[in-house]
Amino acid sequence: MKELGLYLGCVIPTEQYGYEMSIREVLPKFDIELVDLEESTCCGAPLRNVNMFTTMYLSARNMALCEKKGIDLYAPCPICHLGLTEAKESLEENPELKDKINSKLEEEDLQYEGSTELYHTLDLLHDEIGLDEIEDQVEEPLDDLTFAAHYGCNTIRPNDLDRPDDSENPQKLEELMETIGIGTEDYPEKLDCCGGQVISDHNESALTKAGEKIEAVQDQGFDGLSTICPWGHRMLDSKQDSAADTIGESLDLPVMYYIQLLGVAMGIEQSRLGLELNLSPVDNLEAIESIEEAE
Amino acid sequence: MSLIDLTSMAEPDEEEQEKIEETLEGLKEDIPDLCYQCGKCTSGCEAFILLELEPHSIMGKSKAGFIDELVNSDEIWTCMQCFKCQERCPQDLSPVRVIFALKNLAVAAGKEIPSGYQKMLQSVLGNGLIQQPKEVLNRANETRKREDLDLPPVPEPEDMDKVQQILMKATQEKLR
Ligand code: SF4
Ligand code: SF4
Repeated sequence: MKELGLYLGCVIPTEQYGYEMSIREVLPKFDIELVDLEESTCCGAPLRNVNMFTTMYLSARNMALCEKKGIDLYAPCPICHLGLTEAKESLEENPELKDKINSKLEEEDLQYEGSTELYHTLDLLHDEIGLDEIEDQVEEPLDDLTFAAHYGCNTIRPNDLDRPDDSENPQKLEELMETIGIGTEDYPEKLDCCGGQVISDHNESALTKAGEKIEAVQDQGFDGLSTICPWGHRMLDSKQDSAADTIGESLDLPVMYYIQLLGVAMGIEQSRLGLELNLSPVDNLEAIESIEEAE
Repeated sequence: MSLIDLTSMAEPDEEEQEKIEETLEGLKEDIPDLCYQCGKCTSGCEAFILLELEPHSIMGKSKAGFIDELVNSDEIWTCMQCFKCQERCPQDLSPVRVIFALKNLAVAAGKEIPSGYQKMLQSVLGNGLIQQPKEVLNRANETRKREDLDLPPVPEPEDMDKVQQILMKATQEKLR
């Protein structure tokens, strides 16, 4: 049994409940014990735009919470994962900054050493748990489906920091899909941005980015799109209707977190995977129960 | 205290002002000479077509010392943080990081920043998260809260007042 601190960040625990539900449901079946970090806060990454020092302090604080419990940290959000990775590397290179941050953490009886390993959903499933182990637990392979992969910019870039997959040609999400029976292939817009990080101040442009990506996937005949980023999922699923209005097209592409797809393939009760909360028409897929059936 | 108060505190402070000048100098040294204005960063920039962001021109202007102009521009706030510019740069430069630094300078100099970031910071000072827990809709248009879904309470520091105080001070710090 591997214990991991479940570091949810901001977007997941305040609105992307389907991601959190499926994580809590699926991972323990792989012998992972998720330990709640009751006192965690924002990772600080969105505040890079305001003040980098604040970002470092918040990231270090969240890692220090794990250190105190003596466990590694699992951040299902790639933006958090990047923020924490960047803080970890910066503090390793800059002992002076580390001391300064530790003097602030001391006020809460916390200390940051830098001993916490960081995981994202992608490397946790693909590299730690492994494809064989996943395959063993598949009860109902999703053989009839072809899905496109959406990694999220921060999952793979920047390439000077340790990321869960390759920046130019990421394939782990595709391999994970194939492991549960889903067909997939590369498409030209695969690495395009969803616009999520400018949604609050440039709403229309952000929704245009999302809409164009959804349209491209839809036009290429995929049955759906698989996500591993709560910011991307919010744009591509939760806001799919607004994205459609913004670009003046009709969009009806099922969008699901990979871990929801995995849960379905493992035969987990669908109501436990938060599938009612996907606002894209996921029940167009035969394998997915309609809301009435799930009740 | 709001972000506006926090940032306006920085304005009249001479020492603070000096630190900003130093950072500007640092920025000029970093970027630089290495950027040969090939425009590869802009050609792949996710915000170029829709928001007219041109990372190569930001690099060029920084190099030429037009930092103040950039700090006052709306342009720096259109970056989608996709890191593609850095990926593409043949000189291993990072326009996106230069843009982050410029935004930090804008905040430190007390410029008005986009409301989205002000709201985020205010929310973080409140309970530690960039937004408050929402009631969401399911596909049948019924509302759902965390507790309806059997999810535990949202995380929050036990002593949020203390974290808030630390954060207030932290926002006054410079990294360079
Ligand atoms: S890609 Fe690099 S070298 Fe070319 S213009 Fe952009 S920053 Fe300069
Ligand atoms: S990180 Fe910003 S500047 Fe760089 S390519 Fe993406 S949107 Fe453009």
